[in-house]
Amino acid sequence: MSDRHRTDGGETRTDVLTESHEAELDRGPFQRWVDDSIKNPQKVYRAMFYVAAIFFLVTTLFPFYWLLMVALTPEGQLQDIIFTPNGFNPGAFVEVFQTIPFHWYVFNSFVIATASTIVVLIIGSLAGYAFGRLEFPGKVPLLLLVLVISFFPPAAFFIPLNDLFNTSFFFLEPITGDGTLYNTPGAMVLPLSAIFMPLAIFILTTFYSQIPEGLEDAARVEGTTRLGALFRVIIPLSAPGVATAGVLTFIAVYNEFFFSFLMTDGQPESWAPLLEGIIAYQGQYEVLYHLMAAASIIGVIPVAILVIVAQEKIVSGLTAGALKE
Amino acid sequence: MATDTDTDLLVGGEPETDRDRTGNAVVNWMENLSEAAYAYLLLLPAFALLALIAFYPLIATFVTSLREDQTRGGEPLGGFVGLDNYVDILTGNARLARQFIDVGLTGSFPFFEFGTPFLQQALFVTIGFAIISVFFETVIGFGQAYVLDQEFRGRRWVRVAIILPWAVPIVIQGMIFFLLFQPEVGFGTELGQWLGIFGPNPLADSQDAFIIILVADIWKSSAFMALLILAGLQSVDRSLYDVARVAGASPWQRFKRITLPLVLPALLVAMLFRTMDAMRVYGLIESSVGCTTVPSLTCLVVEAMFGGTRIYATAAAVAFATAVVIGLIISVYVVFFRDAEGGLY
Repeated sequence: MSDRHRTDGGETRTDVLTESHEAELDRGPFQRWVDDSIKNPQKVYRAMFYVAAIFFLVTTLFPFYWLLMVALTPEGQLQDIIFTPNGFNPGAFVEVFQTIPFHWYVFNSFVIATASTIVVLIIGSLAGYAFGRLEFPGKVPLLLLVLVISFFPPAAFFIPLNDLFNTSFFFLEPITGDGTLYNTPGAMVLPLSAIFMPLAIFILTTFYSQIPEGLEDAARVEGTTRLGALFRVIIPLSAPGVATAGVLTFIAVYNEFFFSFLMTDGQPESWAPLLEGIIAYQGQYEVLYHLMAAASIIGVIPVAILVIVAQEKIVSGLTAGALKE
Repeated sequence: MATDTDTDLLVGGEPETDRDRTGNAVVNWMENLSEAAYAYLLLLPAFALLALIAFYPLIATFVTSLREDQTRGGEPLGGFVGLDNYVDILTGNARLARQFIDVGLTGSFPFFEFGTPFLQQALFVTIGFAIISVFFETVIGFGQAYVLDQEFRGRRWVRVAIILPWAVPIVIQGMIFFLLFQPEVGFGTELGQWLGIFGPNPLADSQDAFIIILVADIWKSSAFMALLILAGLQSVDRSLYDVARVAGASPWQRFKRITLPLVLPALLVAMLFRTMDAMRVYGLIESSVGCTTVPSLTCLVVEAMFGGTRIYATAAAVAFATAVVIGLIISVYVVFFRDAEGGLY
């Protein structure tokens, strides 16, 4: 074993000398070797990998570190912050909840984002399956029609939708009281689901279309229904794509800028989302940057947890890959 | 079985066939649809939602864009004026604080001149922003996805760390970069001046502010690219690499012949949606350097619609003009999609 690896290592080392640029881009095949080849002369690859990983970690995390420093700086002393806060005031993380019920805003956003993600994944899966795996007249024009929605700035939807959500519908009266959707989660779940639907449909179409025909046919021969094949074969095999679409939709809705701002009156009882909570720290005369910073660090935590959970699904494609023909 | 017959009657009583596997009439009915009919059935929920929430408002907005601005009186809109609003926008005569495009033709080389500085024209600002940011986000996102695709200890945490910028609300992203480049608070201005790229007050200078917006967007949105490309990489069958290695393919050949073609569909979707997002940039600009310094297309729409000047028709026309510009740029991708092996069509 060790001999073979040494030869491998020798080869790759010359690769690195002549084609260091390519070596940085391609590490797929050596993933298998990593576990049992630590002692090998693959250290060159390894070192480059760590340099890249550390570079990405520093560049992505530094603004967070800096945000933390802003949060820890006491009110009114915000100047010349580089690596350390100007003073030390961890109380900002408590003050955030005392000034306004920030947890309530986080909860609202969480519910709205979860509901939208479920709607988008279910409806998007049905559409993605149709676009990705079925042949029918008008497929390309319909797919482009879905894409066209993403051409428009959100403001283009706003005035007609605002009128619609402020219109009273008799069938909504038992649910919302006055029959309108304004100040309800529906006023955000509906437009945000629609606006982020095109991305989900395109991601799911792409991933579903890559599953080999044979696997679905096998399930059908075994007696699975059409819908059963979608939910028991296609979706599990496309787990990386589904998890990615879910994470992207959740985060996009959770942090949405435009509708979040306009579809409620800004009160936590009226389902105002996270964004309204953060903006609430912008007073009329001064902006409480340290509270905004502390609040946003708290607000990012639910998403971090979601990513930790979902990333297991994203890498589960390793097994999905093995299942392919 | 009694309930089955009931539902059978409800859906039209499709006769029982050999495909009756489940005993459920609705399922049977679906099983017996032609492929096209089944496809339309699956698309129905998506298009019902999109029709109500997307297509209906867009049609209403388009009708608005064909009417006259009515800045006085009780009615928000005037009479029907056809495409006049669009003509005003394209000739730089709209009632906007900053123009969509303001280019005049001249008789001598280079045969055109800018009515206002290049970076004060929404169309050029937006297209420049989209091209530069998507280019860097693709390259960096690919690099990040490659790192995340490896097996190493603590990979889960590195993955979370790299994806985390995407989880930052836009207001906060804007605030971070506003404060970083605020001369009294952050060190970004001094760093930029030391590098020789910034003037005295970068937040108020169109060119410097444009760079700040680019850096902020690349920081946040590379994660979006990385996540989608990673999902694509994860779907690549590992045994292909072993085959290629045995066949003597170099790392570059393996990348070009295996990784790239298999990741291409996911990569194209990521670039497509990133481009459209970048073309609609607004929240980041509004919450950091401000729409006055870096006017994007969506900035014009929002300012016209909510700026208190009641130029709703012009706002609607700018929104549709923006969509047309994005559509033209996206058509490049659509052509590429068609040629791409394993693409959507």
